[in-house]
Amino acid sequence: MEEYSREPCPWRIVDDCGGAFTMGAIGGGIFQSIKGFRNAPSGFNRRLIGSMAAVKQKSPMIAGSFAVWGGMFSTIDCTLVHFRKKEDPWNSIISAAATGGILAARNGLPAMAGSAVIGGVLLALIEGIGILFTRMQAEQFRPPQHFEDPSQLGPAQHNM
Amino acid sequence: MDNPPSFADSDSPLRSLITSKGNIGVKSPYLNFDSDYVSKPEYILPEGASKQRGRFELAFGQIGASVMIGAGVGGTAGIYNGLKQTTLAGQTGKLRRTQLLNHVMKYGSSNANTLGVLAVMYSSFGVLFSYARGTDDELNTIAAATATGFLYKSTSGLRKCGIGGALGLGLASIYCLATSGDRLRNMLE
Repeated sequence: MEEYSREPCPWRIVDDCGGAFTMGAIGGGIFQSIKGFRNAPSGFNRRLIGSMAAVKQKSPMIAGSFAVWGGMFSTIDCTLVHFRKKEDPWNSIISAAATGGILAARNGLPAMAGSAVIGGVLLALIEGIGILFTRMQAEQFRPPQHFEDPSQLGPAQHNM
Repeated sequence: MDNPPSFADSDSPLRSLITSKGNIGVKSPYLNFDSDYVSKPEYILPEGASKQRGRFELAFGQIGASVMIGAGVGGTAGIYNGLKQTTLAGQTGKLRRTQLLNHVMKYGSSNANTLGVLAVMYSSFGVLFSYARGTDDELNTIAAATATGFLYKSTSGLRKCGIGGALGLGLASIYCLATSGDRLRNMLE
């Protein structure tokens, strides 16, 4: 169960925020280094410089928005756990939708609705895949069923 | 005394505790013993687990904490600056509210990002060093902080890079002295 490998609830927010920041920093770094390399003027040195500049400028911002998403998601998740008294996939889906909505709050209602739907669908997909994987792995551990053939034992002997 | 004393030894110091004076009788040796002979508590750890959490387990928490602290400090600074500037500019009502939000967002995110990136660098260096050396001690902390200072300022000239590294070294040394000064003193003696 993955729930036991994670931090207990209030600290999970900090942990998830950090994890999301790291993910954004590393992923954004890789992405921006490629993008900066391609968009720079020709010449290998200039390309390297452009790549570095893009990484320095953009990857902290990407990491920051990841961290905000992760922190908000975890906060709502923990709130839901507190009030619903259970941890299930619905928590994640609801909190993803709420996070998407809240973070787009300054862009108007339609944007909020769109972000909420995207967040909810994304997390529903992730949770669905997770459940699917768990089912598939559980299938492996099912004990093999032996069907014994009673005809091998010979005819039944009643007159002992 | 090489071997830990046992109750069977006639010259054991524990002997005197058991045979107490007069007619009180022999107390149970299980209840009546010198607690100094019990060494430090021993924990049975799961196989393959280390005694305390390593750097990788703590990394995400540390990074998240620094991001949150940065956001909090930056947000507070943003409120302060926003209030000052909107008062100076004479903005009121909706305009002022939006401008305040802009300030909070700007200061908060820039502070959070800076602190977070520093924490990511420090944590990754720390994890790297502790894996490479196989131990996790104060030297790792100091080396990771110094490397973070160098890397963070690596693009802004040799002088600034050196200053960054020195700053990391100094901060980490102060931290180590503050948290584990006793242990270091024991090591040096």
